[in-house]
Amino acid sequence: MYVKAVRPTDLNRNTEWFTYPGVWTTYILILFFSWLIVLSVLNCSSGLAWTIVHLSHFLVTYHFFHWKKGTPFADDQGIYNRLTWWEQIDSGKQLTRNRKYLIASHTTDYQHPMLFLNTLAVFVLVVAKFPHMHKVRIFGINADQ
Amino acid sequence: MITIPYVTALATYFSYGLLFVFGHIRDLFRKITGCFSSNNLQGYAPICLGNEDFYQRRLYQRIRDCFERPIASAPDAWFDLVERFSNDSNKTLERTTRIRRCLNLGSYSYLGFAAPDEYCTPRATDSLNKYSPSTCSSRVDGGTTVLHKELEKHVANFLGKQDAIVFGMGYVTNSAILPVLIGKGGLIISDSLNHCSIVNGARGSGATIRVFQHNTPSHLEEVLREQISEGQPRTHRPWKKIVVIVEGIYSMEGDFCKLPEIVAICKKYKAYTYLDEAHSIGAIGKTGRGVCELLGVDPADVDIMMGTFTKSFGSCGGYIAGSKELIQYLKYTCPAHLYATSMSPPAAEQIISAIKVILGEDGTSRGAQKLARVRENSNFFRSELQKMGFEVLGDNDSPVMPIMLYNPAKIPAFSRECLKRNVAVVVVSFPATPLLLARARICLSASHTKEELLKALEVISQVGDLLGIKYFGAEPKKHQQEEKMKKLE
Repeated sequence: MYVKAVRPTDLNRNTEWFTYPGVWTTYILILFFSWLIVLSVLNCSSGLAWTIVHLSHFLVTYHFFHWKKGTPFADDQGIYNRLTWWEQIDSGKQLTRNRKYLIASHTTDYQHPMLFLNTLAVFVLVVAKFPHMHKVRIFGINADQ
Repeated sequence: MITIPYVTALATYFSYGLLFVFGHIRDLFRKITGCFSSNNLQGYAPICLGNEDFYQRRLYQRIRDCFERPIASAPDAWFDLVERFSNDSNKTLERTTRIRRCLNLGSYSYLGFAAPDEYCTPRATDSLNKYSPSTCSSRVDGGTTVLHKELEKHVANFLGKQDAIVFGMGYVTNSAILPVLIGKGGLIISDSLNHCSIVNGARGSGATIRVFQHNTPSHLEEVLREQISEGQPRTHRPWKKIVVIVEGIYSMEGDFCKLPEIVAICKKYKAYTYLDEAHSIGAIGKTGRGVCELLGVDPADVDIMMGTFTKSFGSCGGYIAGSKELIQYLKYTCPAHLYATSMSPPAAEQIISAIKVILGEDGTSRGAQKLARVRENSNFFRSELQKMGFEVLGDNDSPVMPIMLYNPAKIPAFSRECLKRNVAVVVVSFPATPLLLARARICLSASHTKEELLKALEVISQVGDLLGIKYFGAEPKKHQQEEKMKKLE
């Protein structure tokens, strides 16, 4: 089964890959397979496995989307050095389809008994994705030198 | 429009994800072990800020042996490749004295002028004796020889424009001319896949830059309408001038630009057209005059024609062709003309001779034969590859054909396997191309014979089977089956 790839007009090579077909599916599949792996390695209940997946998803996505700034290559001469990946995506336009998908993919899995930790993770990640938080650095955390 | 099998797209994302994860784990260990060893910067800032070199260290370095391979002969149809080895996983690559004779599918020598030529080389050597390798001066001071004047005249006549100006380096032609042509308050609309030199020149000019979807004239019109109606960014005053920049052949896609439609739109909205014919000049069109000739566009409709001599003419440098007033203006403002050393005289002579061969002014029909041969070679090769089931990009008649690989692991595999079978190919990956769309780019030349092409096809087919990159099914061999049926009867 074939899909067509339309070239986006995004010049930022760091975020442009997110608009191609198959990204959303890969994201879901990675989460699902890591859930299966956690379940098979730890032999725990499915709710606990989801909590573990959810919390590690929180750590990974917070680090890569909202903490790391700039791009992993030097071609663009550092024009994105002050922006995290989330702020770079879709050239800074708020509430595009991609951004709404990433917000929505948090608020769907939280279960007992670790409800508190899960809710905290969801809260931090969803707030970090709000349009009002664009380029905001609370208490100067992660601001530039 | 590229068609990707869905499973391949998923697998490619997953592979890149895995590579990034491993890279980050290694970086974590590097940071931990780095805490213990002393840091000898003594107060100076580190050269690489943050994670700028992550891609270079963790992804590119793994496959570094596929790039920058040194060659030890002229880049003809066959060349000598120097073998290298590495003992520390590509951090350092040592050259050996062994050389390997390989079929060259990577050079931009579309008409075969990169190799010693019976007409051009004696003349270039004579001018080397007469004028010496360098003029040691800029054009304005003492660096304009009669060869430069003659070259500019020849280029202008060849393209059908009033006048031309030449520079010593092709990249510099774009990046030094754009800031002079347009400045703050102007608008540059460039194709999304334009070359780095255009992007650098546009950024250096200070004008506002907008990008339109690759080769989509309707999107160009949309962007033009939106920008003209809005005006400059905060003041909303009308733009001082608008320049639309497109290329003749896009070197990573191998497709021609839709020049007639784009020129029509630019005329309608009174924007200037800048055409970069780096790959298409000399190789395309019935007499080699580029994409204007091929698509039937009058050269007078394109305001600024730019090109390079490094591809089809086998030399170095670039040119700009336009009206007399434009070239006069460039001659007293462009820093590449005023301050940069002028083109090397033997290089200029090589171009003059090459133009004469292409036009048939040397008394033979070799130029026309070369053009016909490169066209035949490209069409034959492309159709054979497509029949085998590869995904090949590019239009017919274009000598540049990228073969899609997609998966990051197939990039070094394709390059190394072809090298083992004595075929040298160029592979391109992120960030020169989008993340998903890594490819191997084949550039054909008029100096490739049919036997060499068949050998290359055989090698590529073998490697393609080994790697699984024949994404479309190979066409069934209908004729052989019919013959077998007839024999049975």
